[in-house]
Amino acid sequence: MKKTFLARRGLWIYFLALLPVLLFVLYSIANSYQMRQSSIVARQGEKQLTFQDLRSIQPGMTTDDVIAMLGKPPVRFHWQEHRGQGPDGAITISHEQYRYSDGVNDLYVTATEGRVENVHLQEGYNLERDSTVFAGVFQFFFLRLAVFFGCLGIFMNLFRGEILDRSLHFYFLAPIRREVLMAGKFIAGLLATCVIFVTSELLQNVAFLWHLSPAVRDIYLYHNHGLANAVVYLGVTALACVGYGSFFLVAGMLFKNPILPTAGILIWEALNPFLPALLKQFSVIYYLKALCPVDIPAPPGMPPLLALLISNPKPVSPPLAIIGLLIVAAIALYASSLQVRRMEINYTTE
Amino acid sequence: MNDRIIVEDVSKFYGEILGVNRVNLSIPPGITSLVGPNGSGKTTLMNLMTGLIRPTRGKISVLGCETNDPEKLFKFVGYSTQFDALPKGLTGMQFVQSYLRLTGLDAEAAEQLAMQAIERVGLTEAAHRNIAGYSKGMRQRIRLAQALAHNPKVLILDEPLNGLDPLARSEMIAMFQWAAGQGYYVIISSHILHEVDMISDQVVLMSNGYVVAEGSIQSVRSEIREHPTQILIRCNRPRELAAMLMSSKDTIEVSIHNDENGLLLKTRSADDFYLTLNKLAMNGIEVESLAPADDDVLSVYEYLIGSEEVVR
Repeated sequence: MKKTFLARRGLWIYFLALLPVLLFVLYSIANSYQMRQSSIVARQGEKQLTFQDLRSIQPGMTTDDVIAMLGKPPVRFHWQEHRGQGPDGAITISHEQYRYSDGVNDLYVTATEGRVENVHLQEGYNLERDSTVFAGVFQFFFLRLAVFFGCLGIFMNLFRGEILDRSLHFYFLAPIRREVLMAGKFIAGLLATCVIFVTSELLQNVAFLWHLSPAVRDIYLYHNHGLANAVVYLGVTALACVGYGSFFLVAGMLFKNPILPTAGILIWEALNPFLPALLKQFSVIYYLKALCPVDIPAPPGMPPLLALLISNPKPVSPPLAIIGLLIVAAIALYASSLQVRRMEINYTTE
Repeated sequence: MNDRIIVEDVSKFYGEILGVNRVNLSIPPGITSLVGPNGSGKTTLMNLMTGLIRPTRGKISVLGCETNDPEKLFKFVGYSTQFDALPKGLTGMQFVQSYLRLTGLDAEAAEQLAMQAIERVGLTEAAHRNIAGYSKGMRQRIRLAQALAHNPKVLILDEPLNGLDPLARSEMIAMFQWAAGQGYYVIISSHILHEVDMISDQVVLMSNGYVVAEGSIQSVRSEIREHPTQILIRCNRPRELAAMLMSSKDTIEVSIHNDENGLLLKTRSADDFYLTLNKLAMNGIEVESLAPADDDVLSVYEYLIGSEEVVR
């Protein structure tokens, strides 16, 4: 276990696991800063504004209307633009930008020549948007890169690392069946990856929720499926470790060079949406995507083929996804057990 | 036969490269030495006997157990390999103990046996030091301790005397002899021929992946008909004896020692010479001692394989 957790050639995995945590910590810090700025702006305003007040401003209104409705803007920029060289000389156009806030949400109003041209309402809390962002980071960075490469680093090294250290024979000289040895090593790898990545996922959730006010946090956790989603994410992370771990365990036994199987599995996983239904089932991401609690909508205008990468048009039900993934992992482990029986100690050829 | 290590028509090829070819052996209890130059197939044969590699052809059984069944095999087999790498971050004690735990022993019993094994190889003082700080000889000894910690009936030791100082070497040899005396199977490979000669009950001479001779040193020697036997004779009248011996058709060469108290006989038939000893006594020649001069591993090795890799 110690060797699996603290292998020198695997320390980069901790960095990979902590990267999304860092991302959400920065996200929370940025949001907290934004909140503080919003509340300063709100305090500086003439009126105590509500979200509805902010939403009432529309393009085409005059700046006088805006000031009448929301009061003198606490933050105002204005600049003049000189255009063209007509017979009467240059035309000067006056631009203004106002910022209002209700303490949480910010309204940016851009006006030209006293008329509102553009309105941008930046919501401080948008739980739907935030949970989609979280889901995106989880699916596209955490699962497909961090857990994938983390499992590669740990499971490929379970046997390959021993061969490189020329210490595999010590295990093979023990009075235990090689299949048992393989199972033991798999469990050690699984414990290591689960501890590392489930902890990372937990910390990501904490970092993600940190900037929310207690009231909003309660709404998110208990009324917006936040808590249930967090638990599902932890479970999906653990299942990803099982799935990718079993793939990389067998790859580590079959290949001397990790680049080939890694590229192969990566391409196979990426091509999953385009594969025929039967072949899809021999992929880990197919089941993991079906288990993810939040769907990521494809951005408008995205080509349908690319949109397939994001959405899962015919997802399997969660129980079937769990069973399917466990079956795929069991097949990979069975292949590993056959391979471990055939393995020979021949360090000179490594 | 369940009381022998049987190697039946075993060949091992690493792709195009020959490891061993058509090896047939039946190894009884006692000390058996595998002797041969580098690349002759000694380590390959040991790895085959312990299942670390699988034969391309043929089969091996160790006291009736197949080598692809480690669960049974390593209950009574201990193997000290030549691979110098040891697990990192462990003390010598932890290294031996962890192996014993894998045999199913509880922590207390494993610790007790580990300490006994470490004492037997003379590493008691360094037992709780990190292996990373061990010298080459200490690493060799801790590997030996690991191999013999569970008191295996079969000890397979690849170059076990490498890197050991003279005292440790003689202690190890005494231990091998003790184990052989207890009816254990001790298989060692070595280049140090005079030590092999001193301790072996039987030898297996290997060259280029083939077994060129096997059996007790004396029987191997007697089978080498094309090489004359050399016999050292200490006696009071060596010149008369030399004249008598030259009359035999089997005598090839006789040379008298400088001190005029003995001679060296080269004969095609040692057996016939021994039968004529009575006649010598009748002629008044007093034979003080008789000793085969080339009835050792070194000579046999040189006859069969050549002297290139011999370490005297």
